[in-house]
Amino acid sequence: METASVLLLISRAVMLLCSVCLLVRCLRSMLRERYDPETWAFLRVGGETLPVTHWENLLGSSRGADLRLTLPEVRRFHAVLRRGDAGDWRVYDVFARGGVRVNGAPVGRDGLPVKSGDLISLNRQGLRFVEADAAKREKLEAGRLPAGRRISPALTLLELTVFQLFLLVQHALSAAPQVLPAITLAFSLLILLEWSCYNAMRVIGRSGFEVETLAFYLTSLGFSVVASSAPEEMYKQALLALLAVVLFLLCGVWLRSLKRTEQMRLPVALAALVLLGLNLVFGREINGARNWIILGGFSIQPSELVKAAYVYVSASTLDRLFRRGNLFGFIAFSALCVGALALLGDFGTALIFFVSFLIIAFIRSGSIATVFLALAGAGMAGMLAVSVKPHIARRFASWGRAWADRWGTGYQQTRAMSAAAAGGLFGKGAGAGWLHDLRLNAAANTDLVFGLVCEELGLLIALCAMAAVLILVFFALRSARNGRSAYYAIASCAAMTMLLFQMGLNVFGSIDLLPFTGVPFPFVSKGGSSLLCCWMLMAFIKGADNRKDASFAVRPGLKLFRGKQEAGA
Amino acid sequence: MKQISRRAVVLLLLALLVVCGSLLYVVRYVEHGQDWAAAYARENAGASGAIIDRKGLVLAAFSPSESQFQPDRELRIANFHVTGDYYGRTGTGLLTGYQDFSLLTGSSFSENAVLYLNVDAELNRKAFQVLDGRPGAVLIMNYRSGELLCMVSSPSIDPLEADPQPQEGAYINRCLSACFVPGSVFKLITAAAAIEGIPDLSERRFVCEGSVEIAGVTIKCSGYHGEQTFEQALSNSCNVAFSQLSVELGHPAMLRAVRRFGFLESQRLDGIPSAAGSFPLENPGDPELGWAGVGQSTDLLCPYSLLRFVAAVANDGELAEPRLIRDGSLGFSSRLMRADTAKELQRLMHYNVVNGYGEDRFPGLRLCAKTGTAERGDGSSNAWFVGFLADEEHPYAFVIMIERGGSGLGAAGTAANEILQYAVNR
Repeated sequence: METASVLLLISRAVMLLCSVCLLVRCLRSMLRERYDPETWAFLRVGGETLPVTHWENLLGSSRGADLRLTLPEVRRFHAVLRRGDAGDWRVYDVFARGGVRVNGAPVGRDGLPVKSGDLISLNRQGLRFVEADAAKREKLEAGRLPAGRRISPALTLLELTVFQLFLLVQHALSAAPQVLPAITLAFSLLILLEWSCYNAMRVIGRSGFEVETLAFYLTSLGFSVVASSAPEEMYKQALLALLAVVLFLLCGVWLRSLKRTEQMRLPVALAALVLLGLNLVFGREINGARNWIILGGFSIQPSELVKAAYVYVSASTLDRLFRRGNLFGFIAFSALCVGALALLGDFGTALIFFVSFLIIAFIRSGSIATVFLALAGAGMAGMLAVSVKPHIARRFASWGRAWADRWGTGYQQTRAMSAAAAGGLFGKGAGAGWLHDLRLNAAANTDLVFGLVCEELGLLIALCAMAAVLILVFFALRSARNGRSAYYAIASCAAMTMLLFQMGLNVFGSIDLLPFTGVPFPFVSKGGSSLLCCWMLMAFIKGADNRKDASFAVRPGLKLFRGKQEAGA
Repeated sequence: MKQISRRAVVLLLLALLVVCGSLLYVVRYVEHGQDWAAAYARENAGASGAIIDRKGLVLAAFSPSESQFQPDRELRIANFHVTGDYYGRTGTGLLTGYQDFSLLTGSSFSENAVLYLNVDAELNRKAFQVLDGRPGAVLIMNYRSGELLCMVSSPSIDPLEADPQPQEGAYINRCLSACFVPGSVFKLITAAAAIEGIPDLSERRFVCEGSVEIAGVTIKCSGYHGEQTFEQALSNSCNVAFSQLSVELGHPAMLRAVRRFGFLESQRLDGIPSAAGSFPLENPGDPELGWAGVGQSTDLLCPYSLLRFVAAVANDGELAEPRLIRDGSLGFSSRLMRADTAKELQRLMHYNVVNGYGEDRFPGLRLCAKTGTAERGDGSSNAWFVGFLADEEHPYAFVIMIERGGSGLGAAGTAANEILQYAVNR
């Protein structure tokens, strides 16, 4: 008894210390690492040489242009210069207003190829396009600092491992002896998985591991939640984690080729709509929403998988971004997704899609007016939904007054808050709370998971989990600035919008700061489809991270160039 | 690209909202965490536990699988404000405040927590029967040891009933969580201040002609008392004498006395807070100070703080801090007033009973007491009876208050006799 309480005390201290250290290390690596731009080519204007640092560049006189040309007759946004996967450059007249020529030939919306030495003219201003040659590229690449040099990712991962081991100790103190082997094995597999993943990255020479570390941190909290609420499902959870990481790697590798990624947008969009359609027809109703499909003994939530597809489809390259068809396609796809989810009764997920739509729409168009228009439309549609569906109206009616209706609509939230308060800052110990009893609190490991984490691991660890998601958001923003293509930048921001908003709905819904909508906390809530989706979304962040040798989802710049030389020879 | 990464900063707005929401939650958590944890007390209390009274009677018990209460319904109702319930409907119940709570550690977890009480559940039942549905409070403690023997608040509910339709105020523990107009029992405090502040008090004579004029305002007395000594004035509960004494002592001395006896602060009964009383904090002017000195004006006292006061008087000025829960540790005591002041008050309170109320009303009790009939301002009055038994075998201090009960001696005094006779003969 005495040793147990000492162990609990030590584990609390160590876990908190490890959590804070690993978060700070991930944050510092982001702040202190150099995000050196990659230079692909040059534009000579008069006596000046401008480096071309992205695959997609907006040319114009505006401050917002990537290549700013403050010359007479150059419009604010004039043309797009774009590099393809194979090193083929093209110029597009994205706004189709004319006045863009390559070697005298007029350029349309579909663009014209540009080679090194060609003359691009914007109205009467001539720009000489010069591609960096192999020697130059090598020199430029050598000047960039590889990721992971200042903050060692191995040490961060070691801190995570210590955290997981002490989490396991806490479970060992509270779990029933017959489930302990399953819990131990699952945690061991998770630790094995993260180190294998890390070693694989080392082998292929990639040294950025912050995103994975944060995702594994959140995943281990999810393991703890399952271990205390449904320990018999630990094996399944371990397998799911393995599957999630495999999907993450596959998606990352897929994203390496921008051409492939772009070409598959339409098929992915259709697949997503078909999935939602099947769900509408064959869906099973579990807990009020019909968003489940039972397939060979597995219950799948298609709406979760569609989240990844939505991000995949919504992002776009710069040359297509301004096309009407592309924009309308995006709006139509969003409307279909949100509509299908509303029909399915999955109000929370529909809301997540809608907010993601708003933010992506703003990032794409920069037009606040459009966003307000969309908001107004949705507001009216929402009011209609609330008036038609009484259970949604009730949720809004009890919002903010959960304690006043403790035995009615506020039952779930007040229980989550009570459990959370009982945990204090440091928690009662993993598996030692009361909220995890699913017979009494069916949603304890999903919608009320914030309360469960607060109760068992303490408010501070729960806040660390939220901080991990916030750090991922900063990471996505930071990477977007240097991303090669607008596609990656938009996709990584869209992915984090989704996860961030989802987390906000989950946490603030369970503590009565927002209406209780019942969406999962990314990575932490129990649920296979959700875990797979979260890991797939991480691939988009990796796709945008083009620090030198950082991400497996980005082809190294030098290799790309050499490949091109060989192909050309 | 630059445009896109610039616009993406809207994501930071969302992040900022999340951060603000979290901060708001932390603020609410600090503010209400204890109440939240207490709300599902059953869940937060630990694996199993029980509440057992001083005679070994199990009042409430719970294990991981079930919750139990005393089977006798009347006993459950009489002890509701002591035990509380699993719904957290009363703020003072032990089940509600079962767990030790701090923001740092949350509620502390105990494997098998059994609370042994000093309270006598059957005595509580008797007190509840005597109150007979009238709203009121009964407190009895052993002034030598600090053991709290009886704490009853009426009206009350059955803790087992999930959805009762109770009388108004049934969830409030009138002993601890409410304050009432004290009326004449406040004269004990004025008397204590006078004993220490006026050297020639025993030689003074107070003339009462039914009322007195202080700075143009008439203060009425309950009777026409003529010329009285100090002890006679207290036993007559003469408003004329005590309002004049209050004015003579002055506002600072009166406020000092009220403060010193702990009436203006929230006191703690094993960690459960009591309500803080009130007394004019600024000098309200002589007439109002006169009224304040006889327990009217804005005076409000919590019954529990009065119990502490009379227990200190009974124990020669040394207060053995009341304890609800019997634990191994010795209770602590503190000096509330000088020993000679306490002894003089004892003498006066005994004089009250012998010469004022009549000892034959309280056969065999060796009672020292003070009545109070406090005007509530709506025509009704709170009946008070506070005091102690000068009996080494039964060293009991008590406070009995019946809201809108009428006369202090008639209503509360009669109730006190019934309850104390039962307590002494148990």
